[in-house]
Amino acid sequence: MMRVPEIGAILALGPPSGAAAESARDGGLGSEFWGAILLGIVALCLLLPATTRRRQFVGTLLGVLSLLLITTDLLVPLVPRSAAVVFWGLAVVTVVASVAAIATPKPVHTALWFALSLLGTAGLLLFDGAQFLSVSTAAVYAGAIVVTFLFVLMLAQPEGHAVYDRISWSWYNKMAAALVAAGLLGVLTVALQVGLAHQRDMTVEPGTVVAREVLAEAHVARFGAELYTRHLVSIEVAGALLLIALVGTLSIMTRTAGAADQVPRGTAS
Amino acid sequence: MTELNEAALLHNYLLVGGLVLAIGVVGLLVRRNLIVMFLCVEMILQGVALSLVAWSRYWDDWGGQMLVLFVIAVAACEAALAMTLILAIARRTGSLDMVAWQELREETVAPYIDREVPEERGAPRAWPSLPAAGREPVADEAENLYRSGV
Amino acid sequence: MNDWIRLLMWLVPALPLAAAVTVAALGPRVLRGASHWPVLIALATSCLASLLLLGHVRQQPVGFERVESYWTWAAVGAAGAAPQDAEPGVPDALHPRGDLVVDIALRLDTLTSVMLTMVTFISFLVAVYSVGYMRGDRGYWRFFAYIALFVFSMTMLVSVSNFVLLFVFWEAVGVCSYLLIGFWYQKPAAAAAGKKAFLVNRVGDFGFMLGVFLIWTTYGSMNYHDVPRPAATAVVFDAAASAGQTDAAAVQPGVLGAERIRAQAYVGGGTGFAICMLLLLGACGKSAQFPLHVWLPDAMEGPTPVSALIHAATMVTAGVYMVARCTPLFGASPEAQMVVAAVGTFTALLAGLIALTQFDLKRVLAYSTVSQLGFMFLGLGTGTLAGITGGMFHLVTHAFFKALLFLSAGSVMHAMGNVIDMRQFSGLRKLMPYTFATFLIGSLALAGIAPLSGFWSKDAILAAVHGKAHVLEEALDARHELLASGEAKAFRTVAWMADAPAVHAAPDVLAAWSEVQLERGARLYGLLYYTAVFVAFLTSVYTFRMLYLTFYGPLRVPAAAGDHAHESPRVMVVPLVILAVGAALAGLWMDRSYLNGTHPFAQLLEATPSLTGAVAGTEALGAFHFGPAATSTAVALAGIALASGLYLAAGGSARREAVGGSIWYRLSYGKFYLDEVYDMLVVRPLAGLAWLWARADDAVVDGLVDTVGRLPLVLGRVLRSLQTGLVQFYALAMVVGGLLLLLLSDPELTGRMWTWLGGVWSSGVRP
Repeated sequence: MMRVPEIGAILALGPPSGAAAESARDGGLGSEFWGAILLGIVALCLLLPATTRRRQFVGTLLGVLSLLLITTDLLVPLVPRSAAVVFWGLAVVTVVASVAAIATPKPVHTALWFALSLLGTAGLLLFDGAQFLSVSTAAVYAGAIVVTFLFVLMLAQPEGHAVYDRISWSWYNKMAAALVAAGLLGVLTVALQVGLAHQRDMTVEPGTVVAREVLAEAHVARFGAELYTRHLVSIEVAGALLLIALVGTLSIMTRTAGAADQVPRGTAS
Repeated sequence: MTELNEAALLHNYLLVGGLVLAIGVVGLLVRRNLIVMFLCVEMILQGVALSLVAWSRYWDDWGGQMLVLFVIAVAACEAALAMTLILAIARRTGSLDMVAWQELREETVAPYIDREVPEERGAPRAWPSLPAAGREPVADEAENLYRSGV
Repeated sequence: MNDWIRLLMWLVPALPLAAAVTVAALGPRVLRGASHWPVLIALATSCLASLLLLGHVRQQPVGFERVESYWTWAAVGAAGAAPQDAEPGVPDALHPRGDLVVDIALRLDTLTSVMLTMVTFISFLVAVYSVGYMRGDRGYWRFFAYIALFVFSMTMLVSVSNFVLLFVFWEAVGVCSYLLIGFWYQKPAAAAAGKKAFLVNRVGDFGFMLGVFLIWTTYGSMNYHDVPRPAATAVVFDAAASAGQTDAAAVQPGVLGAERIRAQAYVGGGTGFAICMLLLLGACGKSAQFPLHVWLPDAMEGPTPVSALIHAATMVTAGVYMVARCTPLFGASPEAQMVVAAVGTFTALLAGLIALTQFDLKRVLAYSTVSQLGFMFLGLGTGTLAGITGGMFHLVTHAFFKALLFLSAGSVMHAMGNVIDMRQFSGLRKLMPYTFATFLIGSLALAGIAPLSGFWSKDAILAAVHGKAHVLEEALDARHELLASGEAKAFRTVAWMADAPAVHAAPDVLAAWSEVQLERGARLYGLLYYTAVFVAFLTSVYTFRMLYLTFYGPLRVPAAAGDHAHESPRVMVVPLVILAVGAALAGLWMDRSYLNGTHPFAQLLEATPSLTGAVAGTEALGAFHFGPAATSTAVALAGIALASGLYLAAGGSARREAVGGSIWYRLSYGKFYLDEVYDMLVVRPLAGLAWLWARADDAVVDGLVDTVGRLPLVLGRVLRSLQTGLVQFYALAMVVGGLLLLLLSDPELTGRMWTWLGGVWSSGVRP
């Protein structure tokens, strides 16, 4: 049985890191959490395009501060120091690269930042024991999809930059977006706590039991066995989906290629 | 790895995943470039993938990882189709701007127009141009609004 | 032979139906101007078949009936419940717990065959006449299709052997009359008249329907005839109850079946009276009796052949037929019979008075029809065999001379360019000799001048009423004597019963009458007799007024007639002549009392199962009644003399003017303002209510619907502003919506959201 106070216990496993653990023990999120989130909002708003360099600088500062707050407040220190360092490093790379990806005005930079974020994610996955997924993420996303993006960028926007990338929307749009994202984050956190509180059959004693199956020696082999036995139909469907996407892509391309000639192209260069 | 506190690990992963997801949402909502928007969607998926894998490990269950694999597969399909469509769109309007498609709005709603267009940083570059021949094409003012200052 | 009869029985209604279907299908495209041929052929064949049936029936023994069941239309198991108020003394067997089984069954007996012959014969002649009359009309084929349908409905009405089917065809006749009266539906007056006929009939039909329901609950059967009972259920019957002669257990007795008549198992008292009154209401609607007579004069808006058909053969005779058919039911309730007679007489008087002053030729005829129908009801209301056969006799002769008069009037109208106002033409005697001759014959017949047919039938009715009043007085005297002498037991064999050559062992109906009933009846029928004589006088007055105004005096032709005022074509004249012969000689032929004391018509009709044995035979049917005959001839001649004095003689106009201003004249001319009274009492309040409901419907119901309909519009106007066309706005909405869903999906989450919001609020408020 795992209840809300036990989450507090989990959080308190590490060195006392502040009010978060206590507030979590109380069943709510502390003002520190919301403060960090709000700070993040402001930072994001400043960081997003249509800014001056100064604002971007302030935004960066604020963002770092917010991340620090979140880190100290919410992240639970992992016990082996080496593991903690690896995790922290990867997490920071992932988050920072993500922020940079949406903050930079140039789409090419976005793609590159995103690729970095993906690599960070892949590292996190690896750290979590999902070896196969880690490699496929790196290969499929960073290797294939992002490169495709870049190709398309070259095709569609040879100038490499555009006014709409710089101005984005007016400030309240950004604020609304950031607020919504913060709300999402908050609700997810609360939902997590509530969900854990609702969990009645949590027989695995946290912290003691190791995932023997997922973290087994022959991880990929077991992964494959699972994939091709239990999820056989799904994998077939996924394969069919890929084929359909291929055919659809070709058909769209061949059809629009003819139509495109009739539409006067706007770019005179 | 046995020494790791599983619950703490789950917690941290969920947090990072949530952050990535939230950032993706912000990007999706804010950026106007179609391709960037699409990248943000992928970012959201990454956030979800992180938490799924964390849960998978916590419960010692393959389900989460399987789901992530299928997410990757679907994302690949999606990417292929989206790229095609984006290309088609870009050919039609000449830009990747989402606002160019606001023609689909209700008649009574006023169009969105950028109030101020900031200067491009750095000096304007001179692009090679073809020698003048024939009539100069008439530029569309409204279209120029969304174009880069070339 | 029997199979032939079976064939003929269904052929008679089936042929007009087939003709109607054929003309309806082929008329507009294929047949066009030849649309009359299928109808004429069908009606002629039907008429021939009817005559064959009549010949067959004449050879059968008294009480003959034949019911041919073709298929079962409806069968409801165990629908009948035992009536609660079964008459004491009536064998239980005659209140069967019957199943409701409605067979499509046609019957053949003398009443039906007489009606069939009359209907098909007159309809055939009218159809022939219509060929000339309706030529060139746009709805030529439609007209003949309706006529054929009308004849089908009417033949079925008189042929069916079941009250449910009777009601069905009762309605069918109403529909056909609606269609034909409103035949020129583009003419507002015609459309209104059709509607009026239909609606007024509905009132009667409603009563009729209730009457049929009451018959069902009272008698547990809808059939006229007895139905052979399946062997399994026969044990229900009490064998002793059915007194021997035939095995009553073997049949389920019908309402008018031989079993029930033999046992006289009819419910009297309040229930019987109610049944009769409801049936009478229906009959009043169809046969245009007061107070539902108002539709018939307006029915003149239809083409003239339609008027002839409705007045003579098809529609109005339905009520008379029905009452005659239900004689046993009426016989059980003396009060009902008195009401029938009184209603008939009052209607006859009212319509006769109105007919005196009308100027519309056809309208005069219409009121005369109403009046003559009143005579028929008077005859039926006597409840004696002489009266009922007299009423039916009058129905047949009236069919001849009224059809004749209408068709002649139509001929006049045809020649006068559709002008029918008698003030606009006169002296047509020379111009239209055939029409004049036939009209004269019809008028004489209507006025009741011997030896034309009207004389005999009217005489029969008057004699029957006179006889009835007389018999009642005698019975009353006998009763008094018996009561005085204390020998109450003996009055069953009243003198008139013993002396009368009772053809059949008719039950002594009068024995059941109380003293008060006898006295009331004697007084009533006496009064009715004199009223009827007065109406006979009125009849001859208005008939000859009409004749003089139209055919005598200086020759005047309305402008509308133009130059083509002429005798009608031969196809119209020939039916007139045939009808004239019928109108002149039918009475002589059917009533031979003057010759050898026989009355073939009455004796034929007497053989009808519902009449034979059901009605007290008051006197020999063949007797010639000199007294009433002399009286009616005298009043008829007096009426003619009065009409001649007013309309033919030199000083007529001055005398007319003297009368013209009187209130009686105005009342008569205004048809006693009954239409206006109905308008005020019924139509206006209903119209007001309808107006009110229409407003309510507009304001409340429609308003509600409109509001509901406007809601999406308003909402849409609000939501439309959200349709910015900016994809990211939609994405934002999606995310917010997803968030809300997530929050609301779990009550605990929702609760936390509120507490958190409260915390934010309080922390915001707190400095």
